[in-house]
Amino acid sequence: MWHITKRELYNNLNSLRFALTTVLLLGLMVTNAVRHIREHPKRVQKYHNAVTESMNRLTAIAETGLYSLAQRGPGILYKKPSPLHFCAEGEEPLLPDRVDTFYNRNGRRFWRLAYPDANINMTNVGPDVSQIDWTFIIGYILSLIALIFTFDAISSEREHGTLRLTLANAIPRHTVLIGKFLGALISTTIPFMLAALVNLLILSSASVVHLNTQAWGRIGIIFCIALLYTCLFLALGLLVSARVQRSAVSLVILLLTWVTFVVFMPSTLAALASSFSSSMAYYEYEERYGQSHTELRKTWRISWRESKDEEVLRIRGEWHTEMAAGEERLRGEYLTFKVAQVQRARAITSISPAALLQHLLEAFAGTGLDRHQQFIENVQRYAREYREFVVDVDRGDPESLHIMGVREGLSQKPVNPEAVPKFEDTLNIGKDFNTAATELLLLSLFVVVLLAGAYLAFVRVEI
Amino acid sequence: MFLTLIRRELLDNLMTFRFAAAVVIMLLLVVANTVVLIKDYELRLADYNTAVKTHRQELREINKTYSDGMLGVWGAMILDRPPNPLSIFNTGLDKRLGNKIKVSHTFVPTIWDANKYEADNAYFNILTSIDIVLIFQGILSLLALTFAYDAIAGEYEHGTLRLVLSNSIGRGYVLVAKYIGAMVCLLVPLLMSLLLALILLTTSTTVSLDTDDFLRIGGIVFTSFIYLSLFYLIGMFISAITRRTSTALILSLFVWAFLVLVYPNMILTAVDTVPRTDTKTAAYNQIKQVWEELERKREQFLRNDPIPGESWSLGLDFSLSFDDNPSRLVYHTDIAGALETIDEKSEPLVPHAQNLFRFLGPLTVSTAERVWLIRKPAFEEIYVQPANRGRILLKFSPAGLYDAATEAWAGTDFNGTRDFFIAAQRYRQAIVNYFHDEKIFASRQWFAADQGAVDWDILPQFSFQRSDIGINAKRALPDLFLLLTMNVLLFIAIFLVFIKSEV
Repeated sequence: MWHITKRELYNNLNSLRFALTTVLLLGLMVTNAVRHIREHPKRVQKYHNAVTESMNRLTAIAETGLYSLAQRGPGILYKKPSPLHFCAEGEEPLLPDRVDTFYNRNGRRFWRLAYPDANINMTNVGPDVSQIDWTFIIGYILSLIALIFTFDAISSEREHGTLRLTLANAIPRHTVLIGKFLGALISTTIPFMLAALVNLLILSSASVVHLNTQAWGRIGIIFCIALLYTCLFLALGLLVSARVQRSAVSLVILLLTWVTFVVFMPSTLAALASSFSSSMAYYEYEERYGQSHTELRKTWRISWRESKDEEVLRIRGEWHTEMAAGEERLRGEYLTFKVAQVQRARAITSISPAALLQHLLEAFAGTGLDRHQQFIENVQRYAREYREFVVDVDRGDPESLHIMGVREGLSQKPVNPEAVPKFEDTLNIGKDFNTAATELLLLSLFVVVLLAGAYLAFVRVEI
Repeated sequence: MFLTLIRRELLDNLMTFRFAAAVVIMLLLVVANTVVLIKDYELRLADYNTAVKTHRQELREINKTYSDGMLGVWGAMILDRPPNPLSIFNTGLDKRLGNKIKVSHTFVPTIWDANKYEADNAYFNILTSIDIVLIFQGILSLLALTFAYDAIAGEYEHGTLRLVLSNSIGRGYVLVAKYIGAMVCLLVPLLMSLLLALILLTTSTTVSLDTDDFLRIGGIVFTSFIYLSLFYLIGMFISAITRRTSTALILSLFVWAFLVLVYPNMILTAVDTVPRTDTKTAAYNQIKQVWEELERKREQFLRNDPIPGESWSLGLDFSLSFDDNPSRLVYHTDIAGALETIDEKSEPLVPHAQNLFRFLGPLTVSTAERVWLIRKPAFEEIYVQPANRGRILLKFSPAGLYDAATEAWAGTDFNGTRDFFIAAQRYRQAIVNYFHDEKIFASRQWFAADQGAVDWDILPQFSFQRSDIGINAKRALPDLFLLLTMNVLLFIAIFLVFIKSEV
């Protein structure tokens, strides 16, 4: 078997396609690295400035007392840019990079989370192209290369008659197949590895990009996924090559399959799925699902009186907290509704291996829609923490009336700004595995099925 | 002999598996996508129709005075951009750019002032979209190459080339025969899928195409044909110089991957063509200065008028409309009034208010014109120039040329989309002229509706027609000519290589 692998390898290494592959991949990876070095510091700088500003604001508010802390909220919360942006762009410019907290500046209405809409770039009149990230390089280019390396693996040997010669030796057929598979795998991996290493070398030698241990671990996982994805196309190539008599026909079949599944399937299916889901503006959603505020308004009328009466204060406080909570819940649900529509459309595209790869890479690079949902969850958890903090501080003051939502009902003591919980967006690799598990399994399933298919096809073929 | 050659080529190609596969794949993809695209277009058209209706209704119901219609936030005078039915072929900028624009005498409307309807789920833009031209761009080129790679190398390998040339026929004729034979074969899937798409289009009740549209589609088909021919010639050229089918195949695949897939994406990743926002602040400050000058003049006017105090509200219930958005280069301020009734106490103030608006209206218009002189070059520099730079870079690839040319035919390119906004500018000018002519600024109805609300129907009405086919053709022709030139050059190159080669 090793003999066959070695022979395949030597054959491939000397071929034109190997040279072209290496040049192409190197060019792409260098472009990718250069762009990342150019763009990433800007993103990080923007994030840091925004976070510092937000923190300063929070400290300033904390110094004015517990009530303003409770009423104005923690300010704008920002999404941390992923250091692995170069692996998967994940349509990041389209996704909002923050969650706002709204409060009524003049009135006494309490803060609530408000989710900005996806920002469509209406101002850019330039041509629309996808960025060169690893998703593009692996998804489109590497898969095509895998097919180019395997389309003639069996059919050309059969055409030349060398296959018969090989099998005349006492070698079982599956050994030949595995040898060919390994040979092709190694010869596609070498240029990819080379290009990826050059890419990482450029990135890590640049002082502006810092990759920590977790990031390197994620890159390792992405490498494994890339290998799995390459295996899928190698298996497909071997399968078709074993079934078809002539290598030219084999390539045409493979190319058309590739174009259909990799290039067109994701967008066609997504368009198909998205055209069947009805969209709703927020006010329509509010009309349909929002609770009626009539009852709350009735109680509000009582509390309208400027009274220091504890009962009135309690009702007014309830009104404020209820209003904020109700609206926040509704806005959250509306966001979930919108994202769920997109997720459904994305799930349908999973038939295409390229879409699968994109989702997986986005999940592990910490970009894209899944990551955005994680960020939203982080924000919501933090919002709960923040509200609990206010309650706790208030509880710690024996003089307070413990009425949330009104100035008179809260503790009047100064708050230690250090103690206020600060928001930090974190990435959790365990969660990423969870979201990616189905897709990972699906990809593995595809690989196994195609490998089994290739095996069966090759065992049964007449030579 | 020439005809025999063509016939042979035709039969050779038609009988192959690749031809059958090409037809099936093309039909499947084009039909599936056309159905989706038509549905998408219908949705957008429905959105547009609802928007036109609501905007019309809101303008008439909410805005009782002229100033309210020009400056109000709710139900102001809004123009809607209709979706282009040919965006099914090439989406271009049709879906991306804003589709509603406010008309006001305070600013000249541009693409960058437009907004979008709220109802769409913006998150769907995460998913990649597709159009018919994209399918042609990817698959037709690939097909052309798979037909071409063995055109010369294959015959050379099998020795049939020697046989053919032993007859008394010129080498040029052999090449032309091959070219014609293959192109006829390649036209079959192209035309079949296009015809199916057209059948779907014409059976749809909402998509209405006129003669010009069919001519534009004809332009798209012609461009597709040239594009196809270019890739066939590229394949043939590779086939002629390598003289081995396997090498030719690999090489043409890489060429395809580079030209169609890699180059367009790579060049725009490598060269920064994002809008240059750093020049914004300077332009914004200039704009602000111009408006502040107006504010100063207004204050001076208010100081000098007989009414005591410098309040812009003159004691009447006016509101100050104020817009300040540095990222959009917007800054304007004006006084609006929507008085339902005027009581006797305020009645003496009315002539003063009329005086104020007689002074302020034309001043605001001229200020808007001055600001336009700042905004126009600023937008050029910030958005248009980087975009054009990107477009020129894309034109080094035939795929980019093809995309640009079909976009121009469909009218979804930058110029085509801008036509609407130019029409909006013209409409604004018509409204302003009407105001001048009818002395609306100085009229009572500018700020008060006590003597009846404004009849919005007597104002000039907006209508927008897409540019006619001649202009589309004019915009598409440069790219088309470039494609044609490439074709001719490649053919000459192939001819030269083939003439000199030993058989």
